[in-house]
Amino acid sequence: MPPVPTAAHDSDDVRAAAAGDRHAFQRLYTLHVGRVYGALQRLAGYDHARAEDLTQEAFIRAWQKLPGFRHESAFGTWLYRLAVNVALMDIRARGADPVSVRDNELLPDPGETPFCAAERGELEQAIGQLPPRARAVLVLHDIEGWRHEDIGDELGMAVGTSKAQLHRARSLLRKALGERS
Amino acid sequence: MNEFEWRRQLRELRQPAAPNRDLWPAIDAALDGAAQAVTPVQALPSRRRRHWLLGAGLAASLLVAGGLGWRLLQAPPGNANTPAMSNWKPADPRFAGAAIELDAARMELELAIRQAPDSAGLQRLLRRTEQQQAQLRHLADRAS
Repeated sequence: MPPVPTAAHDSDDVRAAAAGDRHAFQRLYTLHVGRVYGALQRLAGYDHARAEDLTQEAFIRAWQKLPGFRHESAFGTWLYRLAVNVALMDIRARGADPVSVRDNELLPDPGETPFCAAERGELEQAIGQLPPRARAVLVLHDIEGWRHEDIGDELGMAVGTSKAQLHRARSLLRKALGERS
Repeated sequence: MNEFEWRRQLRELRQPAAPNRDLWPAIDAALDGAAQAVTPVQALPSRRRRHWLLGAGLAASLLVAGGLGWRLLQAPPGNANTPAMSNWKPADPRFAGAAIELDAARMELELAIRQAPDSAGLQRLLRRTEQQQAQLRHLADRAS
């Protein structure tokens, strides 16, 4: 799991917030909202309204769960993981796009699809158009640096399914970018 | 563009981003109705008080478990009804007494933890009790 940079001195605020100090929690929000929102924005396919809803939900859950935070990891890492879980639960609740053999058969062979240079905006737009579950796997693996084992655990799928979703997402992404160029 | 460069381009998307609006007011308002998982204590109990609570929790656990065990021994065979506090009733009567004792110990520890949520000793005892409950279930499953 990639570590999330965090201020070394936020442990006092974490303890205070766990004891119910709202101001301390606001300071934690200010410190970490960028990292949390960034990850949720990518998982939400750059749908800003959804990413904002998920960010709010993540911080509310963090507030509720803070008394159980055991300081075994950095607060930022704990919060990041909790926020990603909120987004993945949202995807799971929607029962979005389970991968099927038919989907893979419709995809072009990755070897036939060229790698296309793309502007950041084009890349974000193409990621936003991916099916939610395939997008989640691509974002977690190729952008956030997660392993298939962790993705499978969080999304409730086998490692092989996670790999299939990644293959599908990459192919769709390259195809989308190829058609634009 | 080769695959390596393409992947690098993807990884460069991993950056913090600022929401279009300040989300804190909405979060702050929602926190009013969002109770924390454990009611925060006003002040941490002193070391001496925590030790006292730990001892009291242990003593209460032993008393309740002993009392329940005694009642179980006094009950006629085949009438070893599990008290209402027990969540799990093993089919095998050989495991019933231990199940009741462990359940009672767990409940006592949970009550003690409510008084002293920061007590690592109580948390450790609770985890150990829960592990023992899981082992008992495993043994009961194997025996059946």
